[in-house]
Amino acid sequence: MEQFLQQVLNGIAWGSIYALIALGYTMVYGVLKLINFAHGEIYMVGAMAGYYTAHALGFATEPSLTGLFSVLLLSMAACALLGAAIERVAYRPLRSAPRLASLITAIGISLLLQNGGQLLFGADPKFFPALVTSRVALRAGTVAVSNIQLIVLGTAVVLMVGLELVVMRTRFGRAMRAVSVDAPAAALMGVPVDRVISGTFMLGSALAAAAGILVGLSNPKIDPLMGLMPGLKAFVAAVLGGIGSIPGAMVGGLLLGVVETLVSAYLSSTYRDAIAFVILIAILLYRPTGLFGAAQVEKV
Amino acid sequence: MKALLELAGVTVRFGGVIAISRLDLRVDGGQLVAVIGPNGAGKTTGFNVITGFCPPTEGVVRLDGERIDGVPPHEICCRGIARTFQNIRLFRSLTALENVSAALAGARRSGRADVLRGAQWQRREIGNEARARELLGRLGLARFADARADSLPYGEQRRLEIARALATGPRLLLLDEPAAGMNPSEKEALRQLIVSLRSEFELSIVLIDHDIPFVMNLCERVSVLDHGEKIAEGPPEMVRRDPHVIEAYLGTDGEPSAAHA
Amino acid sequence: MTRGARTAAVLVGALLLLVLADLALPRLINSYYVTILARIGVAVLAAVSLQLVNGFTGQFSIGHAGFMAVGAYTGAALSVYGGAPLLAALQEWLPAPVARAVYFPAPLLAGGLAASLAGLLVGIPALRLRGDYLAIATLGFGEIIRIAILNIDAVGGARGFSLSAPAGVDLRYESLGLIGGVVAISVAVIARLCYSAGGLAFRAVREDETAAEAMGIATTRVKVEAFAVASFFAGVAGALFAHAEGYVHTNSFSFVRSFEIMAFAVLGGLGSLTGAALAAAVLTAAPELLRGLGEWRMVLYSLLIIVTMLVRPQGLLGSRELTLGFLRRRPALRTPEAE
Repeated sequence: MEQFLQQVLNGIAWGSIYALIALGYTMVYGVLKLINFAHGEIYMVGAMAGYYTAHALGFATEPSLTGLFSVLLLSMAACALLGAAIERVAYRPLRSAPRLASLITAIGISLLLQNGGQLLFGADPKFFPALVTSRVALRAGTVAVSNIQLIVLGTAVVLMVGLELVVMRTRFGRAMRAVSVDAPAAALMGVPVDRVISGTFMLGSALAAAAGILVGLSNPKIDPLMGLMPGLKAFVAAVLGGIGSIPGAMVGGLLLGVVETLVSAYLSSTYRDAIAFVILIAILLYRPTGLFGAAQVEKV
Repeated sequence: MKALLELAGVTVRFGGVIAISRLDLRVDGGQLVAVIGPNGAGKTTGFNVITGFCPPTEGVVRLDGERIDGVPPHEICCRGIARTFQNIRLFRSLTALENVSAALAGARRSGRADVLRGAQWQRREIGNEARARELLGRLGLARFADARADSLPYGEQRRLEIARALATGPRLLLLDEPAAGMNPSEKEALRQLIVSLRSEFELSIVLIDHDIPFVMNLCERVSVLDHGEKIAEGPPEMVRRDPHVIEAYLGTDGEPSAAHA
Repeated sequence: MTRGARTAAVLVGALLLLVLADLALPRLINSYYVTILARIGVAVLAAVSLQLVNGFTGQFSIGHAGFMAVGAYTGAALSVYGGAPLLAALQEWLPAPVARAVYFPAPLLAGGLAASLAGLLVGIPALRLRGDYLAIATLGFGEIIRIAILNIDAVGGARGFSLSAPAGVDLRYESLGLIGGVVAISVAVIARLCYSAGGLAFRAVREDETAAEAMGIATTRVKVEAFAVASFFAGVAGALFAHAEGYVHTNSFSFVRSFEIMAFAVLGGLGSLTGAALAAAVLTAAPELLRGLGEWRMVLYSLLIIVTMLVRPQGLLGSRELTLGFLRRRPALRTPEAE
C-alpha cells in the first residue's frame, strides 16, 4: 500500500509537469485551432536556458532558493519571447492559409529547434545544476517526499492558480476566452486578436519553460531532444482533458502522470512510453472531445 | 397509389431544441412540390432527415414503402434520392466534368478495384466521360467542362450542383434554395429548367425556397413549416391565403416579423 | 501494332532495362551511390503511397513510417526464418542471380500485405476522426507499432534485426533493377488508381465529405481503401529497405521518418504524385551527397519546410503532375454535338 502511495505521489509530480506543458498546447489550440508541434521544444529551450543562466549568474556552484527562482523567472521570460517570436514569424502569416500548412510549419519549427539545439548546445547531455540540494522533506513510514518534489508541486500549483486567475479575472483572460469561442466576432467587438494570440503564446511558453526548469531539478540530465517525448505526452494529456479546455489540461496532465507511473511500476517499464499513446487512441475512439471538451456539430 | 416518399410523424430533437415536430409529408411519383417557411423552420433539417444526414428522433421515412431512416446517406443516394445544398457544396478544386464524373462513378458504385480490369475498365471510363459531358451539355455547362468548379460564375455553380445530382440517376431530387442569389431573369430560366428536367428525367422534385412568387409559379403543392411544425399544405393559391401562413411570415400585426428572412 | 503486342513489347523492353541496370550499374558506379539510389527508390515509394492518403484523399496521416516498419520486419522475418532455406533450395536448380530474382518478390509481398492489414486495423477506427485528431491518432499508432516491435525479441528487439543466413545464401538484396522495377510498377498502379473515374472518389472525399456522401460515395470506405492501399505500398517500401540494407532497426521508422515522408508529399505538392516522387528523390539524394554538412543537414531541411510553407504553401507542383506527354494517351472520344 505504501509502495502504491509512493508511486501515486511520484505520478502526481510528473503529472504536474505534463499539466504545465499541456496548458500551452490547449491554450494555443483554443485561440488558433492549431496544434503547436513546436511546444515540446520550448520546454527543452526552457531547461537549456535555465542551465546557461544558472552558470552565468553563478548559481550553479551555490545552491539557493533565490537562485532557483531567478533562473525560473529568467527562463520563463526568455521562452515567452521565443514563443511570441515563433508565432509572429511562422504562424501569423499562415492564418488564412489551409490548416495543413500551419501544421506542417509547426512540425518544421519543431525539427528546427531540435536540430538547431543540437548544433547550438551540442548533442551531448548536460547536467542541470542542483540549485537545491535534494533531501527528504516529509516522511510517513516508507513513503517519502523530497523537497524537490515539493518544490515541483508547489511551483506548478502556484503557476496553475495564477493562470486560472489570469484567464478568469483579467481583461486579457476574457479576451482570450472570447477569441477561443469566436475569433471573428471577438475582432468585431474590438478585441485586439493579434495581441491576444501573442499573449497566449507567451503564457503557454512561459509555463513550458517552468516545466523545463522543474524537470531539470528533478532529472538533471538534459539534452536538445528531451522535448520530443514529454511534448507528445503532454499533448496526449491535453487531448485527454479536452483540447481547448484549461481545467482539462490540468486534470489530463495529472491523470496521465499517475497512470504512467503506476503502469511503469506495476506492469512493465518498457511500455511506459506506449501507455500515453494507448490512452490517446482510446480517447480518440471513445470520447474524442476529451473529459471536459464540448462536442462540435457540423452544419450540413 | 403508393407514395414515392413518405415522412410519418418525424420529430427531430437536438438536445433541448425541437427542430421538427411530428412532420407528415408525402410525395408521389412525378410531383413537383415545395417546402417553405421562415428561417429556422426546419426545412433543411427535413432534407437532412430524408437524405440520411440526420436520423429522426421519432417517426419513419419511407422510400417506395421501404424504411430509409437510419440508412447511411450514400446508400440513400444509391436508392434514388439526390440533393443540392443551401450553401453550394461543389468539389471546388475539381473541374466541372470531374464533379459530375465523381457522382456518376459514385452512384454506379465504380470501385477502385475496377482499375485492375483492363479493357473493360477502359470502356467504362470512356462511357462515364461521355455521359458526364452529356449532362453538362444538357445544363448549359459544356464550355465549362474543364474549368475548376470554384471558378464558375455563381449561377453556373448552382446549375453544376444540379447536374451533379442528376448524375446519380435519382428518382427524387431535392433542391435546397436553388434560386438563392439569382436575379429575376435567372430565376425564370431556372424555373423553366426545373420543369423540363422533371419530365425529361422522370423525376419527383421537392424544392425549398424563400421566394414565394418563384415557388407559387412552379409547384403543384406547397407545404409550410414554422418552428418545426407543418402549419399549412395545399395548392399554392390556397396556401398563400392561409391566415397561419401569413402570420408566420408577416407577424400578427401585419408587420414583417423577426422570423421572416 | 495491336494493343496487346505493344504492351508486350513495352514489358519486355522494361524487363531488359531492369536486368541491364541490375548487372551494369554496380560495376559502373561506386557502391555508395548504389545505396543512395536504393534509398531514393524507397523514399519515392513511401512518399507516393502517402500522397494517396494525404494529398488525394485529404486525410492527414503522419504515421506512415509505422507501416513501413511492419513491412520491413515482416519481410525480414520471412526471409530469415523461411526464406533462407527456400532460397538455398532454389539455388540448387537455378543460377544464383535468377534464383534470387525469383525469390525476392515474396518478402516484398508479405511485407505489403502485413502492412496493409495493419493499415486496416488502424484506419477503420481512426478514419472516423476529423483532421487534427486523425493526424494525432496516426502518429500515436505509428509510435505504438514501433514500440511494440521494439519489444519483440524474435526480430531483434532493441538490438535490431540482421538479415543473416547460413553460408551460400545472401538475403541482402540491393538490386537496383528490382527496386527500380517495383517502385515503377507501384507508382504506375497508384497513378492509375488516382486518375480513374472511381478514383475521383478520393478527391471528392477530400473536397467535401458531406457532398460526396450525398452523391453516393461511401466516404468511410473510400478513406479506409486509400489507407489500406497506401499502407500496402509503405510495407513494400519497408521490405525493400530492409533487404537493401541487410539490417533493420526501429530507429529507421520513428516519427521523424514519418515527418520526412510527409514533408516529401507536402513539398512536392499535395495532389501531385510526381511532385512527391521528385521531392523524395531530391531531398534524399541531396543530404547524402552533402554529407559534409553533418548536423546542418537537418537544420537546413527544417528551414526548407518552413520557408516553403510560408512562401509557396502549395508545394512545388501544386496539384499538377509532371507528364511526359508522348507516353500518355487518352482514349479517343467521339466529340458530342456542340452545345
